[in-house]
Amino acid sequence: MKNYFLILFVGLSIINTAQAQGHGPIYGLQTPTLAKGGINMNAAGMSIGTEDEASYMLRYTFFYGITEDLQVTLTTPTVIERLENAPRTRGNSMMPSNGDIEAALWYRFFSNAFGVGKRFESTAILGVSAPTEDVRGQVNVGNSVHGAISTGYASRVWYAWLGGGYQYYLEKDNEQLGDLPYASMVIGYRPDIFMGDYPKPDWRIFVESLAEFPGDNKVNGQFFSTDERSKKVLVGPSILGLTGPWGISFGALFPVYRDLIPNTPREKYRVALNISYWL
Amino acid sequence: MKRIALIIVVAVFGTISSNAQITKVDQEVFGMDCAPCAYGLERGLKKMDGIEKVRVSLNDGKAYLDLTANNNLSLKQIQEEVKVNGFSAKNAEVVLEGQLIKEDNALKIKVKNEEYYLTSNTGQSVINSLQPGTVKVRGIVQDEEDGSLTDKWKIKITEIL
Repeated sequence: MKNYFLILFVGLSIINTAQAQGHGPIYGLQTPTLAKGGINMNAAGMSIGTEDEASYMLRYTFFYGITEDLQVTLTTPTVIERLENAPRTRGNSMMPSNGDIEAALWYRFFSNAFGVGKRFESTAILGVSAPTEDVRGQVNVGNSVHGAISTGYASRVWYAWLGGGYQYYLEKDNEQLGDLPYASMVIGYRPDIFMGDYPKPDWRIFVESLAEFPGDNKVNGQFFSTDERSKKVLVGPSILGLTGPWGISFGALFPVYRDLIPNTPREKYRVALNISYWL
Repeated sequence: MKRIALIIVVAVFGTISSNAQITKVDQEVFGMDCAPCAYGLERGLKKMDGIEKVRVSLNDGKAYLDLTANNNLSLKQIQEEVKVNGFSAKNAEVVLEGQLIKEDNALKIKVKNEEYYLTSNTGQSVINSLQPGTVKVRGIVQDEEDGSLTDKWKIKITEIL
């Protein structure tokens, strides 16, 4: 438990000393919402590799801006290869990484645009998910709820986001997947070379980090092996390119710290490619 | 015949002089940082009746608008479009034509349903040059709270056109 708080404290300290927060990471929680009536469609390919196997999945996500501060999202997967023993994780703020269909509301409850290209904003996310498989990692998988909150800073040069979330799976047939508290931090930078004005292409790079604390699964009302949580921190780069209504991002995460409970798969990498189109 | 021609001339001039409108807006936009942001705002503005040309600059943080002749657009409509795109509309440099009216020692320009009150920092030489009636001016419209836009604005006139 001490380690859990230590990781959170270190993460928050780093963020608090950062000069900027951002827009468009692939793994970390973010804050931007669409314009009123705006539509955004995403197609993503993602893979998680463990020491024993790898998963491959395509995912499609639809966003609609109800107002400039409230948007609804729907995401659905095409699973190409599932993991026999899947780690408990989310893909990113927009979508689950496992085979869940998810609907969510994003509410940007705070926004302060205070300069050219500059703004602070905070967004809350609330979603519900339904699995596309009956069993995940030898445990019956039920529906789940997901809530998250993030705050961030955007500018023409620097970006940064800090957020935290929680996913809770409901019990199914006397079995229950472990819950998932997590936190993310992203720092982004747009180098001078990419400062060309609209409509020239717009690129930026991010360093993303994700800390996850998945709980153990329950079988017959009992924890599978322990009531403690795994702890893992992943860090990696990502890049986002935007031109007109199109966006493409690519990123990878690698574990830099882990303290896992028994029977938890050891991840080697996560990679994702996402293509966006704004209608 | 002369009388008819005179009536036509007066009628035409009367129509032109009563054609109060905004013809150009350089709208400052805060909080717009990325290409899709600019794309969305540009598209939203282009859809508005009365917009002839739009250019959005991320680095300037501005939307440059040329309005069509005889348009019915108001500055409030333009700033509301900025707001629904998720950004904050700040000062705007405008070119507008309207009726100069003196009211309780204050000068205002009436452009359709909107009223632009001259600020005290408008140069005295500019104020002295203004004559009641139709005027065409360039000026800086001061920022108002995005959530409580009205039809009343404050303007510093920089040039009489």
